[in-house]
Amino acid sequence: MLPDRHHIESFLYREARLMDSHAYDEWFALWTDDALYWIPSNDDDFDPHRHVSIVYENKARIEDRITRLKSGAAYAQDPRSRVSRVIANVELEAGENGEVTVYSTFNLTALRRSKMDTFAGRTIHKLRPDGDSFKIAYKKVILVNNDEVINNMTFLV
Amino acid sequence: MRSSRPAIDYNDLVKEDRIHGRVYTDPEIFEEEMDKVFHRGWVYVGHDSEIPNPGDFQLRKMGRQSVIMVRDEDGHVRLLLNRCTHRANAVCQVERGNTKKFRCAYHGWTFRTSGELLGVTYSDRYNESFRKEDFGLRKVPRMGIYRGFVFGSLSPVGVTLDEHLGRPAKGQIDLFVDLSPAGELDVTAGVHKYGYRANWKFQIENSMDGYHPNFVHQTFFDNIKRRTGANLTGVFASHSVSLTRDLGNGHALLDFRPYNKAHGAGLRAALPTTPSGNAYREAMVARYGKERTEEILTSGGTHLLVFPNLVLIGVQIRVIRPIKIDETEVFLYPTRLKDAPEDINITRLRGHESFYGPAGGGATDDLEMFERNQMGLSAQVDPWLYLARGLHREYEDADGTLVGQVTDEVTQRAIWKQWKKVMLQGSEAPARRRANGTARRAARA
Repeated sequence: MLPDRHHIESFLYREARLMDSHAYDEWFALWTDDALYWIPSNDDDFDPHRHVSIVYENKARIEDRITRLKSGAAYAQDPRSRVSRVIANVELEAGENGEVTVYSTFNLTALRRSKMDTFAGRTIHKLRPDGDSFKIAYKKVILVNNDEVINNMTFLV
Repeated sequence: MRSSRPAIDYNDLVKEDRIHGRVYTDPEIFEEEMDKVFHRGWVYVGHDSEIPNPGDFQLRKMGRQSVIMVRDEDGHVRLLLNRCTHRANAVCQVERGNTKKFRCAYHGWTFRTSGELLGVTYSDRYNESFRKEDFGLRKVPRMGIYRGFVFGSLSPVGVTLDEHLGRPAKGQIDLFVDLSPAGELDVTAGVHKYGYRANWKFQIENSMDGYHPNFVHQTFFDNIKRRTGANLTGVFASHSVSLTRDLGNGHALLDFRPYNKAHGAGLRAALPTTPSGNAYREAMVARYGKERTEEILTSGGTHLLVFPNLVLIGVQIRVIRPIKIDETEVFLYPTRLKDAPEDINITRLRGHESFYGPAGGGATDDLEMFERNQMGLSAQVDPWLYLARGLHREYEDADGTLVGQVTDEVTQRAIWKQWKKVMLQGSEAPARRRANGTARRAARA
């Protein structure tokens, strides 16, 4: 069965809204138990067991991330970044058992202490049906600047 | 030659128990640091395992100067200035790779990976006064390698690398490297790059600060406690048996060995009693013997500053890159242990990622502190920073190092002692080169 584009795009926009608004618990609830969240460092692809990543997290580590962010004592987000992103260029690929691979691009502006930074890149989601919505089983973010100095990327990407 | 302003008297800025905020905010001091600390002293460049094959290269910085660390055709490590000897084009334009030759895109001159000038295009328009031997890529005047750590000095004269490192720092480098059953590091796992808008010295002071973790990293420790039950705050409290050490020459150490010995912590306890944990221990004992293996595993690595720009911390090689008085880059290279079981190397990588890097759960909060420090320095009614913690209790150990408790500021005072000594050098560089490119020993008072 072909995945419904509108349905999937709505899901992506919702994930983006949750990340932009620092809705940590609601964003965490989007992940499957066997989640993998990957942001490669220095290159777009390599063996993550032999090469460092900016983020390479299973569900427990994602939970550690949002626990810190919720505490108010994660100083890199105190003051909090103000973030707004655009998701576009969505392409879909049907997988097995209703799973969908979704390719999209993002362009994100983050403001912190009067300094605005742009982050941009490509995201690959693997979404699994969950009721009338989806959960994220896999999310890989390929940053344009993954081989550059990054000062602070502690908001959700 | 330089401005006729009076020289800065660093004795006025660095006292036994306090330092003046100007050391972090004055661009003129930054210029002098570039000259005296980074363009004369021994500076860490890279690890030779990053360039395993002939033609492999990494582009690095020594202070402001762009330097190519390359393994030449004969297998030798070279440090070459990244500047065409014709008209200054930066011949190497990528950060890492493999090449048979360096070719300047501007006029097509080519250089061997050893630096020798190989070919000049349309050379018929030079006369016999032009000799190719005089136009090789300039070498960093001195290079020294210890356990694969490649250091360079842009000054042709000065103390040797051995003298600069000293026995205690070398011993700590050994503890870091000897976690490998082959006695070798493998630094091919990529790099985290972060930056912050504050002075570079905050990073080296913080890397050697055993006082801040229970405050800045409280949330990280809370996660560990929630997940594993382990409470790490005891390591960094004022009753902890962990220590700070001044190793001389600006090198400093957070020494967790007494804590690890007392609490059974450290790598020895962290090693799972799984087949690979046992295989690892057996391989270590086979190479090092029981006693040394115990020493290595109890230490579990090191937590070391090699002045001015190298920190060994966690599983990483950390390199501090000053950009401006209030702008710094920091590159973190997680290390793999040659011949260690793969799952140990993977665990090291995952552990590194949880704390370090621009999205990490620990180091990012340190960077925030540095920027808050730089903001605080704008207030100058009282310009002093107070560094007296533990001053009344520090003592000299049998190995000649100066020791304090882990929350004491022995390590910061170690940094400032060396910094003052280096900055009090005269403004003339120690030697001048003759016009033909050879060095003449300095004739100076």
